[in-house]
Amino acid sequence: MELFTYLTDPLTRDLYLQALLAGTAVVVMCGVLSPIVVVRRLGFIGQGVSHSAFGGIGVAAVLAALGRLSPGGLAEFIVIVAFCVVAALGMGGVSRKRTLPEDTAIGLFLVGSMALGAILVQVSQNIAASRGVSASGRSWESILFGSILMAGPAETLTGILCAVGVLAALWWFRRPMLFHVFDEESARAFGVPGPLMRSLLMILLAVAVVTAMKLAGVVLATALLVLPGAIALRLSRRLTVVTAIAVAAGVVGLIGGLAVSAQFDFQPGPSVVLVLVALFAGAWMWERSPGRA
Amino acid sequence: MNHADAQVQPRPTGPSRSFQASHAIDPPPGITITGIFHRYPGAEADALEDVSLRVEPGVRLGILGPNGGGKSTLLKLILGLLPLQRGEILIGGIPPDQARRQGLIGYVPQKLEAELGLPISARQVVELGAAWRRPPWRPIRHDADLRARVDRLLELVGVRDYADKPIGSLSGGQVQRVLIARALASNARVLALDEPTVGIDASGQQRFADLLTAIHAELRPTILVISHDIRAVAAGSDRVACLARKLHLHTSPEGLTPRVLGELFAHDLAGLPAGLRGMHLHAHSAGECCDDNPIEPRVDLTISPASPRTRPPAD
Repeated sequence: MELFTYLTDPLTRDLYLQALLAGTAVVVMCGVLSPIVVVRRLGFIGQGVSHSAFGGIGVAAVLAALGRLSPGGLAEFIVIVAFCVVAALGMGGVSRKRTLPEDTAIGLFLVGSMALGAILVQVSQNIAASRGVSASGRSWESILFGSILMAGPAETLTGILCAVGVLAALWWFRRPMLFHVFDEESARAFGVPGPLMRSLLMILLAVAVVTAMKLAGVVLATALLVLPGAIALRLSRRLTVVTAIAVAAGVVGLIGGLAVSAQFDFQPGPSVVLVLVALFAGAWMWERSPGRA
Repeated sequence: MNHADAQVQPRPTGPSRSFQASHAIDPPPGITITGIFHRYPGAEADALEDVSLRVEPGVRLGILGPNGGGKSTLLKLILGLLPLQRGEILIGGIPPDQARRQGLIGYVPQKLEAELGLPISARQVVELGAAWRRPPWRPIRHDADLRARVDRLLELVGVRDYADKPIGSLSGGQVQRVLIARALASNARVLALDEPTVGIDASGQQRFADLLTAIHAELRPTILVISHDIRAVAAGSDRVACLARKLHLHTSPEGLTPRVLGELFAHDLAGLPAGLRGMHLHAHSAGECCDDNPIEPRVDLTISPASPRTRPPAD
């Protein structure tokens, strides 16, 4: 098996170990969030947030061209997260106040951010050319589909810290958040701070999506937030078991995807997502198998 | 001022020893509503106009009115979910927002508004009502007293046998009972139920009335039942407030007359027989499907026997 070979080969071991470490942080974080995303039907907002990252990438590219931040560093990550958090809060706020229908609000932010990102990247290239420096080397392919094998120690550490932060916030607020997710209007009547819980959920979603983009890219990041929960909810109706299955499905998807990627020389991100889709198909068939209550 | 003052004392139902013996229960608060008006942004008319009401502690009050008559608005104001524009509401002497933060009011929404796909058990739903404020480092599973209280409430509402089943696997009536247990779990002393009998047949409504009577006998909370269905508010209420933008009546169900109902539902009932007590009355209007719509001036009333014991109206 090629993955095992790569993991034991001194030339490629660090590369794959970094990818496994960073990927595990991502899938554990997404696995815990995933049942909430599925139950509250936040998948499309997740898609909107991930595509909003284009805007953040554009802003970061302009700042990099102006020499204000280094491409690929922590500052760039913070700019993208900040852009996605603002977009997530905007989408949540606009749809909540029913100024626009939810799908229209999400679509607006999604295409607006993508268009802004594309123009800002072009602007950054023009700025870089006028200043006689090379533009940000980020490839569109890695933005779209991820580049987990390119994760360096700093990016791995950032991913782990994000995962720890998201999981800590979820643990700390688990009771009011669960109440809010189960029954938002009643939760408010019981004193649960609805706007705070809604904003917190959007912020956690944005951080998870941006972190997951390293593994699966803009296009497929939402899959890591939707598929583990969708798999787990086919197999159990107990919260702790569902959460455990979602995390396990994410880890199996990660290892399986990296194995497929190494074996057939496919891109890791799409490979991970395809393994998760296969796991979902299996869970779906098991749920409908004869004799299941 | 359109003021109605509840002078009737709650029915003398003796509290059960079983719950009160093991759990300290605070006395229920009264509710004082004074001169409130409310108008939604962009609306041409007030949703509530000069409504004043006093609810004695421990009373079971039914608030009856047509859809669009301001019942839900009044409930949201009592719950502190809408800002007061004019007037005053005091629950046990404190404003609604403060009462809400103190967990003084237990709210039971119209059923099936919750995310029943969330993989939590009926017991966990009730525990959330009791312990969502608990610091995250204090686990629930080691709190024997809390678990005993939750078990007792589940037993009181008749779903103890389903405590560990996923909430999504229960029937609509069972979910509603779980939500009532959740409302009571925070030691709430006011129980507010929004349209609790929507979609429930006559026998189910009677069981629901019996359940409220049992809860009142055991815990003695102040109970507010809001409905457009006269049976839902008449059964098990000490008194009824009739609300159609203004408060029309605040007395016992026996006092509901064709004239009062005619005023309430904006329809001339002069030709209908007296003695509507025990009858099921539906109001059909163009505004019925949406609380934001104004009440149509023309309303058709249908009266049907509420139970096999009821006497049909005389010709």
